[in-house]
Amino acid sequence: MSPTPEGGLTEEERRPLIDNEGRALLSKLLEDPRAPRYNHTCGDRLTTAGLARVRAFEQETAARTGWAQGRPPAWVAGFASRVSTQVPAYRRAGALPARFNQIPTVSRADLVRDPYGFVPDDHPLDDMVVYTTTGTGGTGVAYIASTPEAAASYCVLLGAALGLHGLALEGGPGRTAVAQVCWQRSTYTYASVSSFLDQGATCKLNLSPADWRAPGDPEAFLEAIAPEVLTGDPVAFARLASLDVDLQPKALLSSAMALLPGLRAELETRFGCPVIDVYGMNESGPIAAGLPDGSGHGLLQPGLYVEILDPAGRSCPPGERGEITLTGGFNPALPLLRYRTGDFAALDWRGGLPVLVGLEGRAPVHFAAADGRAVNTIDVSVALGRFPLARFSVHQAADRSLTVGLDGSGRAADPGVREVLGELFGEVPVTVVDLAGAEEAVSYSSELTGG
Amino acid sequence: MTAAGPPVEVLTRRLLETPGEFLAPTTVVPALVADLLALHGAVSLDQAAGALLRPLESPEARNWLGCVAVSSWLLADPTLVAPGSGERAWVFLTGDDLRELASLVPAPALVSEPDRREELARRALAALELVPAGETEAEAADRLTTLDSSERARVVAATREAEVRAEAVREAMHAKAAAEAAAKASRE
Repeated sequence: MSPTPEGGLTEEERRPLIDNEGRALLSKLLEDPRAPRYNHTCGDRLTTAGLARVRAFEQETAARTGWAQGRPPAWVAGFASRVSTQVPAYRRAGALPARFNQIPTVSRADLVRDPYGFVPDDHPLDDMVVYTTTGTGGTGVAYIASTPEAAASYCVLLGAALGLHGLALEGGPGRTAVAQVCWQRSTYTYASVSSFLDQGATCKLNLSPADWRAPGDPEAFLEAIAPEVLTGDPVAFARLASLDVDLQPKALLSSAMALLPGLRAELETRFGCPVIDVYGMNESGPIAAGLPDGSGHGLLQPGLYVEILDPAGRSCPPGERGEITLTGGFNPALPLLRYRTGDFAALDWRGGLPVLVGLEGRAPVHFAAADGRAVNTIDVSVALGRFPLARFSVHQAADRSLTVGLDGSGRAADPGVREVLGELFGEVPVTVVDLAGAEEAVSYSSELTGG
Repeated sequence: MTAAGPPVEVLTRRLLETPGEFLAPTTVVPALVADLLALHGAVSLDQAAGALLRPLESPEARNWLGCVAVSSWLLADPTLVAPGSGERAWVFLTGDDLRELASLVPAPALVSEPDRREELARRALAALELVPAGETEAEAADRLTTLDSSERARVVAATREAEVRAEAVREAMHAKAAAEAAAKASRE
């Protein structure tokens, strides 16, 4: 996901609340001789009123409310009633059914087909922000309408993810609060100052050598700005870990792809801090974050109701896996009403709060062993998760042969990978290929059909 | 309290046979209405009431008077004439319902268009507190809602408003997608 090219904002519109300390920090980030060749300009666009709303959202988030098993939270009925009349995409479904679980679900395909229909009738268009995303579901480009406040709320939710681990995102003047690292052929990069983080900075950096002026600059620059936390995906973090860089962040927040336990352990050792898996999607922002004991993902958003549905759209009982389906959210330009995510997990309750368990960010893929026995993708994740891989892909052909893609840094694991796959699949041919250079590998695919 | 009225078809047939002079600009509408009220056993039209029906210059007012004339012809059908119904007839002819209909439908359409004939017939029956023969009260109400010109006009206006909004959202999203976004601290 990338912010779109800049278009005509004044500095006042881009950073309405920046002060002298913020300006000084921004200049430092932009003018440091070791800084990357930023290719984008971006601010938080937060006004005084907008900042007040983000702070109010932070307070709500800190309260960590949930809902009782089998009963939607009280706000859901009013929300559903409002969006069913105010949002064209939901209004088309007709009158709201008497029971919440009878409301038709929507999916990314609906959003791709008609992104405009998800913007409420009463949502102002002047201050809208639009992101585009391709995702990995093969449904095409989705336009996501959003607001500067929703963008700033990401920091609130990253703070909530840290809170699950007894940490906090502090920010403050003169400090780089969040550095987002990427390892991509190309992506937008920028430095910004956040009024929500009390004039602390956020920046987005691509570790690709082409983005920097000289070798060694990425390491030197990151050490100079000493970010409070780092965000990124597992591929970027694996790359970061391979650099000769001395960083002491509070935490690494990993998103966008499943973080495998082997890599998480390696990163935790390398950076001496928790590595937190944050589950989210462009449509909703961060949804849940991995708990310290690894037993599940705690929900982050106070106004997001999560259901787990079976293929027929029925609610799964606690502990039973199904499709994660969302209602609510913090983005007023894209209210979600029973939005099927295409991701799978079960819901469990801990201390009265719902928790996602067994999160798997993809639709179930049908794998079969040599003898025809079904092989669960979770088993494959567990087996391959023992290796320090940034990512992998497993494709099974109709003849049950496997093609396993390993990120370049994981090729050394080749013999071990073959061995654990043999344990799961039996005697099937395995071809190992290099994933280096692939943009976003889908982990699992199969030519076999379920049954 | 409602009573059984004639079949709707009897009334739509009568409307189809409306004499041309009822729609002529020279028609003296107060005289038509006075005759009608007499037929329904009401006292004759007083001066103040008659003034309500005086020809006016605006096209809207002239159209309304045309609708009153056609309605007078309709209400004179023997199946509708009953002692004591004069007041209801008067309220219908001068009330908000017929004025709203007149603001949306040209008077000649109450004769020439099948749906508008049926709508006027059903509105008149409802005003006289009659249910069409062979229908329940609920069926009659449903059918009138289906034909309701003002409801249709509201739906058309709402649809138009939705189209304008959808176009504005589409334009704004395309423009914003090509413009600078706001900083986010992580990716999905």
